[in-house]
Amino acid sequence: MNGKVMVVTSGKGGVGKTTAVANIGCALAARGKKVALVDADIGLRNLDIVLGLENRIVFDLIHAMEGRCRLRQALIRDKRVQTLFLLPAAQSKDKDAIMPEQMKELTGELADEFDYVILDCPAGIERGFKNAVVGADSALIITTPEVSAVRDADRIVGLLEAEGILEPKLVINRLRPDMVKRGDMLDIDDVIDILAIDLVGVVPDDETVITSTNRGEPAVLDGASRAGEAFRRIAARIEGEDVPFLSMEAPGFWWRVKRFLGAGR
Amino acid sequence: MVFEFMSRILGRKNRLGSKDLAKERLKLVLAHDRVSISPQMLERLRRDLASACAKYVDIDEAGMNIRFDSSDRSLALIASVPVIGSKQSTHTSKKRRGKSG
Repeated sequence: MNGKVMVVTSGKGGVGKTTAVANIGCALAARGKKVALVDADIGLRNLDIVLGLENRIVFDLIHAMEGRCRLRQALIRDKRVQTLFLLPAAQSKDKDAIMPEQMKELTGELADEFDYVILDCPAGIERGFKNAVVGADSALIITTPEVSAVRDADRIVGLLEAEGILEPKLVINRLRPDMVKRGDMLDIDDVIDILAIDLVGVVPDDETVITSTNRGEPAVLDGASRAGEAFRRIAARIEGEDVPFLSMEAPGFWWRVKRFLGAGR
Repeated sequence: MVFEFMSRILGRKNRLGSKDLAKERLKLVLAHDRVSISPQMLERLRRDLASACAKYVDIDEAGMNIRFDSSDRSLALIASVPVIGSKQSTHTSKKRRGKSG
């Protein structure tokens, strides 16, 4: 098998990279794909707790890399979606504990076994970024409609280009339709116009992302979550499907009814 | 005055949303980020441009303004050089602004 290796990155921290990795990975796995999520944020392990797998870690990425365990021993299988696996970051080491060549070898090894290898890139543009990007053949850039996040995203486009990763895809996270309507938030067209890269999805600002993270269950597993629906559509587009964009209007009457009935759970 | 009053009565329709400001500021800062030119280099460029223009026309160097603009990931250097008069016909009173992209 020769899987896709995709890095999820943003430059700026706190825009929702880890949440995006968890949700897109989970959605792809729910579609029957074999997915490995790699937490490349060495020293600041987080993907495990977002996925609700924090109590099942025995070995981590560094153990596997140093040969202290086999790679498959370090991979944690998700119990809800059987084809989803997590390779957790080491918590005790720092970002300099790995070299780009080692990371490239590791992602290559994973790509032999999985359809998708998705790397959660640390914030910043230093060593950790280099490590996360080196083995990737495509990139997903996450931004929010804020000046600081968009500026950093632009910088990342250039840096990815320098690393040979062309045509990154854009995810706009935490869009607030009410603020867009008032003219107080950059809209989808503004962000695309500024960054000039292809859009793969727009995720509305949605409380269910926080509540689902509290529970350790990605929002894509909640059929009534709007953010979850947006992430499911992103997964479909990554798979090459032509899916319409989610309406960014405020939730309508039928939506609230569906939500109330807890449909799709 | 009247216009301002009217637009205040008619609500905030005419108010420029903060996102327009955000977009303008972003575009400007990104254009400079993308060229990654140092302020020193930019100053040298400004001076060279001024002396090149001054060979042909009288310019107001203090009123010069140069900046970068970007659209679709391509960059343009926008220079605004106030022309006081031409070298040949020396009428100096009129101040014109020349724009070159």
